[in-house]
Amino acid sequence: MKLLIVEDQPKTGHYLRQGLAEAGFNIEWVTDGSTGQQLALSGDYALLILDVMLPGRDGWQILQAVRSAGLDTPVLFLTARDAVEDRVHGLELGADDCLVKPFAFSELLARVRSLLRRGSAAPQETTLQLADLCLDLIRRRVERSGQRIDLTAKEFALLEMLLRRQGEVLPKSLIASQVWDMNFDSDTNVIEVAIRRLRLKIDDNFPNKLIHTVRGMGYVLEERSA
Amino acid sequence: MQRLSLSSRLALLFAACTAVVSLIAGVLFSRASEAHFIELDQQLLEGKLIGLRRALHDIRPSDSEVRLNEEMSRQADLTLRISGSDGKRWHDSSANLPDGLPRKSGLSTINSAGTDYRVLNAPLFPDRADSPQLTLLLDITHHQHFLQRMQRLIWLTVGLSALATALLGAWAARSGLRPLRRISAVAKGVSAQSLNARLPEENMPPEVAQMARHFNAMLGRLDDSFQRLSAFSADIAHELRTPLSNLLTHTQVTLTRPRSIEEYREALHSNLEELQWMAQLVNDMLYLAKADHGLLTPKRQPLELAEEVDVLLEFFAPLAEDAGVKLSREGDARIEGDRNMLRRALSNLLDNALRFTSVDGEIRVRIVDQPTGLSLTIENSGEGISEDLLPRLFDRFYRADPARHEGSNEHAGLGLAITQSIVRAHGGQIRCESEKGWTRFVIELPRGD
Repeated sequence: MKLLIVEDQPKTGHYLRQGLAEAGFNIEWVTDGSTGQQLALSGDYALLILDVMLPGRDGWQILQAVRSAGLDTPVLFLTARDAVEDRVHGLELGADDCLVKPFAFSELLARVRSLLRRGSAAPQETTLQLADLCLDLIRRRVERSGQRIDLTAKEFALLEMLLRRQGEVLPKSLIASQVWDMNFDSDTNVIEVAIRRLRLKIDDNFPNKLIHTVRGMGYVLEERSA
Repeated sequence: MQRLSLSSRLALLFAACTAVVSLIAGVLFSRASEAHFIELDQQLLEGKLIGLRRALHDIRPSDSEVRLNEEMSRQADLTLRISGSDGKRWHDSSANLPDGLPRKSGLSTINSAGTDYRVLNAPLFPDRADSPQLTLLLDITHHQHFLQRMQRLIWLTVGLSALATALLGAWAARSGLRPLRRISAVAKGVSAQSLNARLPEENMPPEVAQMARHFNAMLGRLDDSFQRLSAFSADIAHELRTPLSNLLTHTQVTLTRPRSIEEYREALHSNLEELQWMAQLVNDMLYLAKADHGLLTPKRQPLELAEEVDVLLEFFAPLAEDAGVKLSREGDARIEGDRNMLRRALSNLLDNALRFTSVDGEIRVRIVDQPTGLSLTIENSGEGISEDLLPRLFDRFYRADPARHEGSNEHAGLGLAITQSIVRAHGGQIRCESEKGWTRFVIELPRGD
């Protein structure tokens, strides 16, 4: 999957390219707006990551050019200006998401994946599964190794999210936003406690742990060979 | 255009007032004298008329001249015309009588060839329809001269008194406005370093004293804000210094000799934590800065407060259960506000409450819908906060527990300040009370219509 990054700050661009490439994406990175716009208009990319302040043409102009050319490539904006108007402006012009610097890389990665997933219609699954863990969406039941596990509604929602995005590192802020609809940076350790309680039910009685903490970044649900 | 000074304005106003008053007085006096002259003339002319009627009761056109000359020679400034009832001229007592005399009976004033006359028209025999007409003319030039002289005098008085009051007024205004100059002198000396200068209020006139009081109050507020601002910058520097020095030391120590991959990973993780803490701090500060600049504009969406609180209580439920704290909510109210902002505000309060609630304690949220507005109270059992710390709770970087816990998710101490900004952006107030083992945060919000 090919992604285009237009970012004029060399350090940011470099780390974005490295991080996203290591996450399995094919990355093209340019530093000026004019080249960025030419490439964006080619329509070869699955996603555009645009900085707002750019030499040549700014992010808004590139977005406008892309939209008026009839391309519906998802666009993620990076802005250093923490102004609501900026965000509103971007979304009005047809941006799909907006991240304010400083942001965590795990947050960016999670949002990139969300945007890419949005396009492709997810198959209507009735069960989600990882190793011997099985979640039945219709009967709202969870089993591990055939053993029934009782979860509260929120624990169920949390596990469903982890299962749907298994293998992805999910930052705490994203979990708070998706599961509890808390769309702000909260410094509470509610998520930690919630994960700990879920672990108690899912992982504690089994030798093969599935929920892992990625220190400083978030949580990931995956099978790791012991 | 240059604006007029206050003294000049006052002086001009005084002058204008005096001019108007003296002008009105002059005009009234001049009118009164004129009316008085008319009255005198009328009396004189009517007296003459009676005499003439008596003298001429048997007059005929032929012998009128002789008898008239007798009669008229007694009054030098008086002339007479007699005409028939058909308007035909019978006799003039003087050769150069003005033309175009009024024909209607009664008193009138005319001007002819530079001479003013008072004219009285009357029939010679009031009881006869075909009576000859008498027209008496009185030269009143000397009256008019007097009136003109008086008018000149009035104008002169108006001008001189206006000038005099302008000068006196300017002097009075200047000395009356001396307290203002004192204020100006103090204001000139005020700078960031000398915000403690104050005006002496006691020996100022009442009107200015009020202004001086407001001015002093303004200085006080400025001083306070400035102190806070300076403290805020100092606090920022201080808050950032600890993680920065950790980062520096840790990175340098790690790099002094080759280490195992595990050690490098550990160092990076540790750095990451510091960096995240700093990023959060910067984001919170930007949020507060936006609030300070009035850029925090809440959306106005209709919200059921009970629903919002329940969602939050559900969010905090795991944490509360762990701490053995009971959460409850009572009451409901509708409000127009910004869901995300209000959730953030309440989340900070609940988080704060959870932190200070003793084990097996309780947190109660109470929503009261009143006609004047609504109040939302979050109270928690616990040790309580001492009276003198209450006003400082909403200050930035203020922490009841001053030690920052290494590596924990401890706030930078901006949570309550952010909550306050959000409540204020919604037009509300927040305060904290503490008594008998309960700490209570009360939010009062206006009814959003």
